[in-house]
Amino acid sequence: MSDDLDLNSLSDEDLVAQMHDDLYDGLKEEIEAAVHVLLGRKWTPYDILTQALVEGMRIVGVDFRDGILFVPEVLLSANAMKAGMAILRPLLAETGAPKVGKMIIGTVKGDIHDIGKNLVCMMMEGAGFEVINLGINNPVENFLKAIEEHQPDIIGMSALLTTTMPYMKVVIDTLKEKGIRNDYVVLVGGAPLNEAFANAIGADAYCRDAAVAVETAKALLARRQGSVQQRATA
Amino acid sequence: MSEAAEHHGRRAGAGRAAKRASRMAAVVSTVPFITRKIPIYEVLNEEGLSLIEHNADTVLEEVGIDFKGDAEALAIWRDAGADVREERVHMPRGLCRQIIQERAPRSYTQHARNPARSVVMGGPHTVFAPAYGPPFVHDLDRGRRYGTIEDFQNFVKLAYMSPWLHHSGGTVCEPVDLPVNKRHFDMIYAHMRYSDKPFMGSVTAPERAADSVEMARLLFGDAWIDPASGKPRTAITSLINANSPLTWDATMLGALKVYARANQANLLTPFILGGAMAPVTVAGSCTVTLAEALAGIAFVQLVAPGAPVILGSFASSMSMKSGAPTFGTPEPAHVLYAMAALARRLGVPFRSGGALCAAKVPDAQAAYESAMTMLPACLAGTNFILHTAGWLEGGLAMGYEKFVMDADQAGMLQTMLNGVDLSENGQAMDAIREVGPGKHFLGCAHTQANFESAFHTSSLADNNSYEQWDAEGRLDMSQRANAQWKRMLNEYEAPPIDPGTDEALRDYMTRRKGAFADSNV
Ligand code: B1M
Repeated sequence: MSDDLDLNSLSDEDLVAQMHDDLYDGLKEEIEAAVHVLLGRKWTPYDILTQALVEGMRIVGVDFRDGILFVPEVLLSANAMKAGMAILRPLLAETGAPKVGKMIIGTVKGDIHDIGKNLVCMMMEGAGFEVINLGINNPVENFLKAIEEHQPDIIGMSALLTTTMPYMKVVIDTLKEKGIRNDYVVLVGGAPLNEAFANAIGADAYCRDAAVAVETAKALLARRQGSVQQRATA
Repeated sequence: MSEAAEHHGRRAGAGRAAKRASRMAAVVSTVPFITRKIPIYEVLNEEGLSLIEHNADTVLEEVGIDFKGDAEALAIWRDAGADVREERVHMPRGLCRQIIQERAPRSYTQHARNPARSVVMGGPHTVFAPAYGPPFVHDLDRGRRYGTIEDFQNFVKLAYMSPWLHHSGGTVCEPVDLPVNKRHFDMIYAHMRYSDKPFMGSVTAPERAADSVEMARLLFGDAWIDPASGKPRTAITSLINANSPLTWDATMLGALKVYARANQANLLTPFILGGAMAPVTVAGSCTVTLAEALAGIAFVQLVAPGAPVILGSFASSMSMKSGAPTFGTPEPAHVLYAMAALARRLGVPFRSGGALCAAKVPDAQAAYESAMTMLPACLAGTNFILHTAGWLEGGLAMGYEKFVMDADQAGMLQTMLNGVDLSENGQAMDAIREVGPGKHFLGCAHTQANFESAFHTSSLADNNSYEQWDAEGRLDMSQRANAQWKRMLNEYEAPPIDPGTDEALRDYMTRRKGAFADSNV
């Protein structure tokens, strides 16, 4: 534990290693302190993000996947990550560093299942995404309002009922009508869905679990940012 | 054996043809529901149970229960003396129990259209019903796929034909091929037309609950109103799940009110994934379950005093490594035993259990996990065991093979619950005297009189020699089950229905379906 540890006394390398451990152990305040130390040493926000936080959470992700870490532990890790991100986010924006991405996510209208969606939020925050959790039972208006207010990169929808799954299409069709569908990556998930359904309703991808949601979000945003750049240079 | 033949003499209608016919027909004498004759198993003593009751009352008073999106519900609670703050209702200690004990029936009869199949919910009785809710179906030939109305009808037919399932269930699978806002018509109709066992109604919207009641009224015709009480007979039991932790939501409350006001039964079930929707401990899960159930059942009694209710408990553990629900684990079995005892003390019928598993196919995992919940459910004295047959994948899939395998096990459990026969025939003293030391019992009169029904025989287990099993194609249980469900569907004959009633039901559906546009939202 870093209780008695003076972070300032550590070399950069040891401090980053310590942050990886602290993220692993879900120590929020310790992560906040370490982020401030690195900023004081004139690290760029982007380097802190990638080398300390994202790398630390990558290790957490591996051990979660391998069944070494438990959900409640990963929740604490994700909270520590989120706290670090809260410090870095405004600075990242100022320096024009590449964004990790922002997601709005909600369970669709008529559906109150949220355990899986909350796990997705946790994992996405753990990966550095900014997540706006709209909660349960969301009509399309809630999604539209959140899009306007938060300007997300990703729209996430969850449904656990075959009677509410079709509502995801209502949301996507509304985005199309408004001509804004292609401005966002749309990810959907929930146990009764499958890939074919996601394709049929015009989502960008179906995510079978929270870890896949993170991977897919990263991959699709990278491709998208790539294509934006391509367009700019073409 | 010749001795025995002499005893019987030659009778008309006997001989090979008659015996083959009667044995092949495999008609099993059965009862509409089980009356248990073995003791109840309990895991908590008086001190433990009253501790949980005390804690549940503390939760109701101190933490409160949310009644979401239903202003009428809040007004009802205010009038009943609860402290209502916005949508959160705080019930004074003892209020819910008092309301329930003054008004709720200890047991009730759910009427079937065939009166011989009506079931009694509560007391020493147990009723087995198929699994509920799966969006997917699974069989060995076609694998996993979304359910259709044809699958739905098939499971209704299989449950009708199974001598061990007393109830037709509700959403035996989700008919995803029909529009969301109209599929309840075809689901209810399937239960009414392809079975004559009792069934469950739609809960996904209040107007769908109202359609369910209206169709039951048409089905029962003159028998709908009970002359003794002047109220409708209870023909529907419906599944109303709490949105744990500590929340009842508008959808469920809407359906609940429709059913309660029509004297139909509400099965109020806090459905707990331990760790997510309640604390990870057995006592903590029981406390949350009891608090939610007390609030829900008392609410039914405030809406419609005397309306039939069941206290449900569905507890599953959770993989703390992924969040996935896990089944057949020992801790939820303890919750089940404790909740059954708490429901008995409250004085209402109890629902729990089922052949629950997380397995994707009808394999050893499926069988072990299912047995680990069905056995506690039976030993605990559970009155209504939903999910007795078909459940796979944490309720995401309904399995054809799993269905007939589970139904076969339900037969075993029924025999177990029937207890020990201590009649003169059961004591079998005449057999022991007749045979004496050093001989065998196969030919004695007592065995000859009892052999056919002496042991519950599985319709699926293979007890033959290795060589015979080998020669017959080395089939495992699920392959034999595959043949069995196909044979059953081939042999299925619909129970007769009065043509006028059938027409009235069809008319009603046509009219209602025409009254609004198809919609999937
Ligand atoms: C980017 O966006 C993304 C990406 C990935 C996403 C994503 C979004 N969302 C999910 N993912 C993915 O990542 C997550 C993490 O790895 C995963 O999330 P999951 O949610 O799949 O996994 C979770 C970690 C754990 N899984 C769960 O939490 C769901 C488990 C099951 C058992 C379940 C539960 C727990 C509940 N339920 Co409900 N419930 C069932 C479920 C059966 C099942 N095995 O799935 C199901 C879905 N329910 C069903 C039913 C019928 C109902 N339920 C109801 C209620 C409830 C509870 C409230 C009791 C409770 C939910 C509590 C809560 N706060 O969420 C009712 C409906 C309420 C409503 N209006 O929505 C009710 C109608 C029951 C009733 N009669 O009252 C069935 C579906 C019916 C159908 N045909 O579609 C059901 C299959 C069970 C069954 N057999 O009955 C992935 O899917």
